[in-house]
Amino acid sequence: MSRLTRRDFLRSSGVGVGLGLGAGFGLSGCAGTMTGDIAPKSGRRVVVIGGGWGGSTAARYIRIADPTIEVVLLEPNREFVSCPFSNLVLSGQRSIESLTLSYGGLRARGVKIIHELATAIEPDTKRVRIGEGYLAYDRLVVSPGVDFQWEQVEGLAAARDTVLHAWKAGPQTVQLAAQIQSMPDGGVFVLTVPRVAYRCPPGPYERICQVAWYLKGNKPKSKVIVLDANPNIVSKTGLFRAAWRAYPNIDYRASQKVVAVDTSTREVRTEFDRVKYDVLNLIPPQRAGAIAVQADLVGADKRWCEVDHVTYESVKQKNIHVIGDATIGLPVPKSGNVANNMGKAAALSIVSLLNGQAVPLMPPGNTCYSWVSDREAIAVVNAYKIENGKVVQIEQKLTPAQSVSVAQRAEGWRQSIWADMLS
Amino acid sequence: MKGGTAIMTTTRFAAALAAAVFLLAAAPGAARAAGPLDDPGFAKVITCAACHGANGNSGSDMMPIISGLDPAYFKRQIENYAAGKRPSPEMEPYAKEVQFLGADQIAAYFAAQKRVPTPIRVSAEAAARGKTIAAQCVVCHGPDGKGEAARLIPGLAGQPPGYLAQQMALFKGDTRDPGDPLLAAKKALMKIIPDGQFADLAAYYSSLR
Repeated sequence: MSRLTRRDFLRSSGVGVGLGLGAGFGLSGCAGTMTGDIAPKSGRRVVVIGGGWGGSTAARYIRIADPTIEVVLLEPNREFVSCPFSNLVLSGQRSIESLTLSYGGLRARGVKIIHELATAIEPDTKRVRIGEGYLAYDRLVVSPGVDFQWEQVEGLAAARDTVLHAWKAGPQTVQLAAQIQSMPDGGVFVLTVPRVAYRCPPGPYERICQVAWYLKGNKPKSKVIVLDANPNIVSKTGLFRAAWRAYPNIDYRASQKVVAVDTSTREVRTEFDRVKYDVLNLIPPQRAGAIAVQADLVGADKRWCEVDHVTYESVKQKNIHVIGDATIGLPVPKSGNVANNMGKAAALSIVSLLNGQAVPLMPPGNTCYSWVSDREAIAVVNAYKIENGKVVQIEQKLTPAQSVSVAQRAEGWRQSIWADMLS
Repeated sequence: MKGGTAIMTTTRFAAALAAAVFLLAAAPGAARAAGPLDDPGFAKVITCAACHGANGNSGSDMMPIISGLDPAYFKRQIENYAAGKRPSPEMEPYAKEVQFLGADQIAAYFAAQKRVPTPIRVSAEAAARGKTIAAQCVVCHGPDGKGEAARLIPGLAGQPPGYLAQQMALFKGDTRDPGDPLLAAKKALMKIIPDGQFADLAAYYSSLR
């Protein structure tokens, strides 16, 4: 990773004196490597690792609920790119720019943002390491998203830069769209779905709709082969089945776990079969983001983090709250909306705890839209309550059918929830 | 507040004082300013914000603004959503979550929030056309589109145009609260308005302040 310089830090955080940097570091602006305490803590401070759907929301709501608490957000990316709606980039319905948002709104709320990777957590001394320096915290929010288990597919680790996942919206999304567009008519697009649990359960099936929709109109001799490690469509099953009736170019194969990839022969191998591809989108098995594994926040499975259902405090480490896709044990999907709600609940729990107040019960909720064509969408909605300290689902409801009206509401949700994270 | 509860007994006063001292002791040197968490309703509505915006002030075209809503009207909608009378795959589950958290408190919270009109802009021409159609709506929703809380008639002024137009279509098709006698006259009226005029009518009411 790059080394954090004083100049970088001052520039990226947009503050100097406010973080207690003025006197300690002088103002000479020399670009030496930052070591030791990057920003000595004067008041109460929460450090947030990860500026995705969960972390951004947590940082924002701590500042809303109690602006006397300092919030430092560690996020390597300089801009936010929305995973929800990014499948529409693959069908040419949206540009990646239209899904790219600034962190300026959080800065305006006083969140201090450092565009660096957290490299380690030291729970005993309550410090987060950034390269050779560190930041002290009173409470820590870990919202690391997912990382990929490359080793689960033979040949994938070596090919990880050329075999695309496009499962984190950004450069790979654009690259995959370009590969699909340049595929010859008659070419085969292969998409592989990992076994649950993975980020965004309906995401692969929405992606299948979008690619099939694009190919149907632009490359009518092409087809989509889906190799799903699961025995059936994982989410919104009936609605996706109905949507796929419009796409005879989809060849869906259940219980086909990909075990190997060979880029020289352009084929993937399942437990039973070999499948040739022209364009491959291999979504690898996943686990919590690396920092959660490194800090031993994951459970016996070495994949996911168990948390308290009310405060999202890790069951393994005190004063560390884990939110978003990295968590396990709640009856919720790994979705952006759930991460957003966990961010809020963790934020208000932390503010309550730091102020010596009782933590309110804040059950999550989930609204999840999937686009099945260029103009129609479907949705699943989950509501929850908290009973005896555990999150329990009240109800799950699906839209009765795909419609333009649902798609319009999806757009409304997108606008509102982006503002709820970043404005 | 119900009568009698405002009188604080000596014991209660002592308990309150002890609680206050504890709070101060818990955060030495950082006496917290009054914040949103002081209102217990705030933590109950955070899930709503993902669609309905901060404090119910939706900024998007399809999600209604629910700040400043009459509490009785709010509660009626929650009951109708939860019972499936106002069919909505999104709101039916969330209405049940609202009931779990306390519909009275949440209704009171949103009622107390200052309503901010939609940031969605409509064309002046569409609004002007809509005004000419609105003559019959005024009877219930009022000349300024503010509604009449006592009759459970909501204000339309400043609501996002996309939401208003969608509700008109739902009323016309009798798919919102089907069979509800309170809405019979409204639906009869919507039936004679051509679909093509909904956007103009929505633009007009959305533009009102």
